[in-house]
Amino acid sequence: MGSTIAPDRILHEMADLWVSLGKQGEGETGVLRACSMTLVVAAEESDDEQAIGETLAALMPEHPSRAIVIRFRAEDRRALSARVFAQCWMPFGHRQQICCEQIEVTASDASLPDLAAVVLPLKVPDLPVVLWCRSPRVFRLAAFPLLSAIAQKVVLDSNAFGAPAAALQELSALVAAESLADFSWTRLTRWRELIAQIFENKAQLANLPRVSEIAITYSSPTPTASAYYMAAWLVDGFQKAGVAVRVNFASTPGPAGRQINRIDLRGQNGESIASVGLVEGQAAEIRVGELTSRAVLPPLTDYALMREELSIPGRDPVFERALAGAARLALS
Amino acid sequence: MSLENPFQDPLRFERRVPECAMVIFGAHGDLTKRKLLPALYRLAYERRLDAGFAVLGISRTPMSDDQFREKMCDSVKQFLEDSPFDADVWTAFAQGLFYMPGDIDDPGLYSALDARLKEIEAARHTGGNVLFYLSTQPSQYVPIAQGLGAANVGKSQGWRRIVIEKPFGHDLASARELSDQLHKAFEESEVYRIDHYLGKETVQNILAFRFGNGIFEPLWNRRYVNHVQITAAESIGVEGRGAYYQEAGSLRDMIQNHLSQVMATIAMEPSATFRPNSVRDERSKLLRSIRIMRPEEVLQNTVAGQYGPAHIGGEDVPGFRQEPGVKPDAQTNTYAAVTFFVDNWRWAGVPFYLRSGKRLPKRVTEIAIQFNAAPLAIFHGDEVNTAPNLLILRIQPEEGISLKFLSKRPGSGMQLRPVSMDFNYGSSFGERSPTAYETLLLDAIIGDATLYTRQDMVEASWNVVDAIQHVWDATKFEFPNYAAGTWGPKAADEMLARRGHVWRQP
Repeated sequence: MGSTIAPDRILHEMADLWVSLGKQGEGETGVLRACSMTLVVAAEESDDEQAIGETLAALMPEHPSRAIVIRFRAEDRRALSARVFAQCWMPFGHRQQICCEQIEVTASDASLPDLAAVVLPLKVPDLPVVLWCRSPRVFRLAAFPLLSAIAQKVVLDSNAFGAPAAALQELSALVAAESLADFSWTRLTRWRELIAQIFENKAQLANLPRVSEIAITYSSPTPTASAYYMAAWLVDGFQKAGVAVRVNFASTPGPAGRQINRIDLRGQNGESIASVGLVEGQAAEIRVGELTSRAVLPPLTDYALMREELSIPGRDPVFERALAGAARLALS
Repeated sequence: MSLENPFQDPLRFERRVPECAMVIFGAHGDLTKRKLLPALYRLAYERRLDAGFAVLGISRTPMSDDQFREKMCDSVKQFLEDSPFDADVWTAFAQGLFYMPGDIDDPGLYSALDARLKEIEAARHTGGNVLFYLSTQPSQYVPIAQGLGAANVGKSQGWRRIVIEKPFGHDLASARELSDQLHKAFEESEVYRIDHYLGKETVQNILAFRFGNGIFEPLWNRRYVNHVQITAAESIGVEGRGAYYQEAGSLRDMIQNHLSQVMATIAMEPSATFRPNSVRDERSKLLRSIRIMRPEEVLQNTVAGQYGPAHIGGEDVPGFRQEPGVKPDAQTNTYAAVTFFVDNWRWAGVPFYLRSGKRLPKRVTEIAIQFNAAPLAIFHGDEVNTAPNLLILRIQPEEGISLKFLSKRPGSGMQLRPVSMDFNYGSSFGERSPTAYETLLLDAIIGDATLYTRQDMVEASWNVVDAIQHVWDATKFEFPNYAAGTWGPKAADEMLARRGHVWRQP
């Protein structure tokens, strides 16, 4: 690994890359460059390179970006290296038509303070910068704020942070300064939408004050970050409607990999007012009184989660309120 | 307590969908099987419908609820586009499917319908909201509306809306008559005239493209646009609809509604807001600005065509007059091309060429906006060097947008070549686009009429088309005048050639 990288050289290599792509696309079609943002990915060197590449490739058609993937090695020696290549896809007609640039940087932890000066000139002018930090260890490095300061949005997954309560405290402390996103929250969107849709029905909305208890179940031994988020969001919603509710967390057997198995909204005497629960595979069953319906929950891949977050360029006030509430609940 | 749903999150959730029941007249028909039920199932699959959403199908065929559910299950499996079928989602969705056999001319049907709707409302909490969908012959629109009105069906605390399919009359007078009859039972704001072209993603994207971007609108006028071509070509013939089509023809079937609505979307002024009536007001104004041809102008600015037999791909293809149910001397236009001018400051003098036909070489619908050439041709050479800038908005089969411009060919010398910048819905956005019926049904349930046609728009386009149709009705055409599998009559090329233009071959 070389010890330094020069942004000018990378930019020059990228220019050469476009020339060579243009030659490959010789003929009537040419090659087009598309870009709507700079997407910086901070990952461990040991992180699955292929999985990251596939996720970025899947994101590119909808969110074409200059991707800068920084792979960190836990090392005290200052070391940086970089290479550039392109992600291309064929919209139709099976011609190579649209390409996005990708820069891969390998860095030691010790060189993190130098990275901001590298990324800054590499970001695409006039377009937003999103930083996707896949490593809690990197996120906790003292110099990480130098990197995150370049980004308009920082995306994390508190699920990888270990103890949810501590992770929520950590994020909650940052949210005032940073526009944050947490995959543990993003995973809840379809669940939340199902619950919100129950109360779009006026007859069910009228039942809302009857709810006095929220029960959230999950497979892990202790509440997950998603369970805290869900509870905080529900409590906030009921509070807006002037309804006080208590929250019960419970661990039950359920499919692996899901942060929540079931949500029950119950009345004073324990009667069910509404529930949403996983049934099998990707399906959720929604019960409202006598009515039962089913919905297919899409798989929660990194691509799906990132795609949702990239669609929200600015701050997300609903998330920020839920994060504050979840951090409080986790402490209590 | 606030009556607002406190759990909404507009940043992340789809649009809010109210509870309702949908009554489909003609529930055993092709449209219900091929389009409506697959679209509704897909909305349920996407979690877009209220859990209590119900469909009550009505037709003459005796059937139980369960038999209806079975038939609809088969149809959904057969006609679902680009989407998996999930048995569990279907089972839950099918619990909300009901059926009532009945004769629309029988007043008893409507009182029975009202009672059945009340039962459904109690069981499924549909809030008294009812969407009536008339998937029937147009001649049945008025009797159904009258029946619903006389029995006050669905008139309770909720809303009532009625969706009708084209044709909205066969001329201006009949369109007004239909509207007057509908208005006896429904307010105009409750009448949703569906034009599935307007539900296509690209047609909606025209609004985003024009009014969401600052760079195109300054070019969108007579100073920069040379002409506009709107093409809706079908490769198939009348496919067993010969008897109906014989009375309609391409001018009435396509240009009066779909293509003139598309043209209005392309050429309308920006609306002050994106509220339904604001957008529809602008569309309506544009339609009223289309110059109505004087009788002596019609044959110069329009071309009627009818396909003759041909041999395509090793197969004999019948001419229109050889199709079942068609008279051997039918004067029906299976192809229509027109040149419209818009009498306003933005578009004065810019021709809008609209063409639609059956048995053309391929199925394609697109809008091509040709810009003026650079004012001074400094790059001499072959005609490629002067190829015009084109903006192509493709509506089907691959929805998307392309911009063609000239670029220098690498190497010495100044040779130019056209290049294309393409945006394609299917591949640019990783997931499937909703079908037009999914979009439009959801809009009707939500009460968003932006993409629906209002009566004044219908009347404005009939005004324009009637002037042509009257002359065509009085003309004896030498049909057939184009062979199946070709791009239409030679006269259509000549119509453009008179202004120095050429049809684009999509």
